[in-house]
Amino acid sequence: MLEFLQICIGGLVVGSIYAAIALGFSLVYRVTGAINLSQGGFAIIAAMIGYTLGVAWGWPLWVAIPSAVAATVAIAMALGAFTFVPALERLSNANVLMLTAGLLTMIEGFALVVWGSQPYAMPPFSGEAPLTFGPIRVPTQAFWVFAATAVCITALWLLIAKTKLGKGLRACAENPTAASLMGINVPRMMLLSFGLATLIAAIAGVTVAPTTSLQFDTGRLFTISGFVAAAIGGIASFPGAIIGGLFLGLATQLATAYISSLFSTAIALLILLAVLIWRPSGFVQARVGKRQDTRDEVKAVGHAAKLPPGLAWPFAALALLTAGLVPLVVTDNGILSGFVIAGILFMTLMGLDVLMGYAGQVSLGQAGFMAIGGYTSGYLSINYETAPVLAILAGIGVSLGCALVLSVVTLRLRGLYLALATLAFGLLVDSCAVGFLDITGGPSGLVGIPSFSVAGFEFATPRAMYYVVFALDAVILLGLTGAMRSGFGRALKAIRSDQMAAAALGINTVRYKLAAFMISVTLASLSGSMYAFFFNFLSPEMVGTGRSLELVAMLIVGGESTLLGGMFGALLLTLLPTLFQPLAIYKTFASGALLVASFLYLPQGLYGAIVQMAIRLARSPRGTVREAAASKERGSQTSARAL
Amino acid sequence: MTAMTSAQAIAAPGGDAVLSVRHLSKSFGGLRAISDVTFDAAPNQVTAMIGPNGAGKTTVFNLVTNILSKDAGQILFQGRDLAAMPAVKIADMGLIRTFQSARVFPGMTAIENVMVGAHRLAPHSGASEMLWLPRARNEEHRMLHRAEEMLELVGLAPFRDTHATELPMGAQKLLEVVRALMAQPKLLCLDEPAAGLNDTETQELANLLRAIRTLGIPVLIVEHNMSLVMNVADHVVVIDSGAIIAEGTPAAIQKNGRVIEAYLGRENHAAP
Repeated sequence: MLEFLQICIGGLVVGSIYAAIALGFSLVYRVTGAINLSQGGFAIIAAMIGYTLGVAWGWPLWVAIPSAVAATVAIAMALGAFTFVPALERLSNANVLMLTAGLLTMIEGFALVVWGSQPYAMPPFSGEAPLTFGPIRVPTQAFWVFAATAVCITALWLLIAKTKLGKGLRACAENPTAASLMGINVPRMMLLSFGLATLIAAIAGVTVAPTTSLQFDTGRLFTISGFVAAAIGGIASFPGAIIGGLFLGLATQLATAYISSLFSTAIALLILLAVLIWRPSGFVQARVGKRQDTRDEVKAVGHAAKLPPGLAWPFAALALLTAGLVPLVVTDNGILSGFVIAGILFMTLMGLDVLMGYAGQVSLGQAGFMAIGGYTSGYLSINYETAPVLAILAGIGVSLGCALVLSVVTLRLRGLYLALATLAFGLLVDSCAVGFLDITGGPSGLVGIPSFSVAGFEFATPRAMYYVVFALDAVILLGLTGAMRSGFGRALKAIRSDQMAAAALGINTVRYKLAAFMISVTLASLSGSMYAFFFNFLSPEMVGTGRSLELVAMLIVGGESTLLGGMFGALLLTLLPTLFQPLAIYKTFASGALLVASFLYLPQGLYGAIVQMAIRLARSPRGTVREAAASKERGSQTSARAL
Repeated sequence: MTAMTSAQAIAAPGGDAVLSVRHLSKSFGGLRAISDVTFDAAPNQVTAMIGPNGAGKTTVFNLVTNILSKDAGQILFQGRDLAAMPAVKIADMGLIRTFQSARVFPGMTAIENVMVGAHRLAPHSGASEMLWLPRARNEEHRMLHRAEEMLELVGLAPFRDTHATELPMGAQKLLEVVRALMAQPKLLCLDEPAAGLNDTETQELANLLRAIRTLGIPVLIVEHNMSLVMNVADHVVVIDSGAIIAEGTPAAIQKNGRVIEAYLGRENHAAP
């Protein structure tokens, strides 16, 4: 009983943090209609700055902590003004969510560059000695956490309910168009909500820091837990955020204590998936809820880059020739391996493009299927000496089975709930990969996976593997190009832009979305297996949620709904760190920054830029009419955010 | 009340009707939006449903295509009951509708938009599409050819590669109608196709509707624009406050006292 109480207090401490972060989610969601995943990152930045000022530089804590919070909020406001607020005007809500995932990656990358990957421990604000209430001992920091959370909640409530500023924020939440007609500066309100959410996150970050160990990527855990808490409680409701946060904190701590620490996240995620199935809008229904289904109807859809038919064949020939020559020109095995990895990831990316670029279904857990495929075929080929081709097929079978179960949840969801469910799935796979020691080898990974071979012929060198991957990529690309330029691709695009109108023309939206999902899962699983065979090793972080986010970055940077675009993103983000080894530490930062920049300044991605350049080169001698048309087309891409 | 009974008497269950709506009712909360609506859409005819703002025209439309679920009544399409059928299935049977606010697919060109319309008819073989086999290629060419004809029909051929959302409103509405035509509908349902169109565009729409009728495709049209309806309709159903108040040929409707009152004598009613 005593132990139970002790655990509950721990759960409430953790839950307070989740509640605070969830509160930020609700605030930003209610004012802007978008989800902001960057908050957890800012919480860690605040804690890290607090550590540097308070411990490394020896400032007194009462100066260091508020300074750290202030500095973090200042950074966030500047970043928000140049990224988040302009994105709200240009991008659909689902893309804003991915942009903030890019911000989170960027913040993590920044923390990695500045503070390195080692863990830090912050001293408690008022000494190590716990307070004792009879037999129960409560660390003093717990009171700081409770107090900070309570102050945040009260202050936010007063601000929203009692001030003119709060009225402005609420007006933006209800109807941004009407609010702007009433003279409310809507972008400023949106920035304010972003800043306030960061302020809450920063306060939560610094107060919780002494109770946990800090690392550059701890922020991801805060973001995800906060997001899960907000979804459980009801994303548009402040009381829901608090209830969801405390509930999640208690549930995970009790699970850790009584079941296993390896599965505590898994349990939280199963709770989330259950909530998404039975009560997708959370425990607490908001009185002024934003309906995702209606907001999603009129989202801005960019135009995909397309090579003119006259240029397609010469370009394809050139690309094939270049790809064939790479292993002859590149002699360095490290760089050639980079090409192989990019080629393997390109398989997943083509599938992800069918799912996200064509069908418009957000997926933040695609690497989860790489993991299922990779671990299944790795396990089979180690333990049963199954032939790689059969092992790959088995992996695809298991992945498709899991995908069918997951699709029971995802097919009913759209937009941010879909993103949330896929993210939860990816994290669930992560924690299983760590937890099922006997099958996956746990955190240290699965070793001794054989190389890929067909009928006794082994492809052990990067060069041999290059040709295998190249051939697979070419076959998949050809097949998908055929499907995407015919009725199948058109049906997917129609579903992406307007589900109801698509259904009114007899397009079975459920069947097509499922088909797109299954294609993406098959390719991800295949790619995960090839990845395992190539490295002869597979560890959870190679195919974890970080990888999922990186895949999204690669796709967006390369260019969505082009099939080929993913290759440019994969090559860029794989080869740059290989070529410039000393800069490898900047990789995380760069992939986040590139994702954000692509969303804002290169909506058609690298592929789009190349296509535009090719069109210009081909047309330039023959007059400027076409060019004028092309530039007009580019101008119109920045369609206004639909309200 | 007498007019309503006579309206119902006219609409005796017709065996050969493409669409017959029987005693349809729908309430939103306490508000009775549609009460006991009964009418038929005959083959080879343009049936128009007219009525003042808020009369319930679009609600009837959404009930017919099961986007809303009805409280009572029966809807028969080609003799088959549409109860509990999903929108996809209804479209698959050949009842194709358009939307009040033109819902062209953004991110797709005009020609692609029209080609989506043919979805219902295309024999889908994933394998031949993926391998881009001659069969899939021929099918694609045939479809492209038909889509080009459709664009020509409404004078949009020069804009075939323009992104649909960049076309003017009138062109988008016409595009939506030909997209629906591309599906070779057994009954074409148009929800206020003239809303937001200027006079020239409305004239083009009228020409298109007459062309559709000569093709033998039955049309059910919900419309606000009286002159368009009087111009193209064979049979007019007038609805007010959720109930049918008159039914007949355009000429008869124009002389009907209740219709004139519904449209012009609004000052006698409480403001809505």
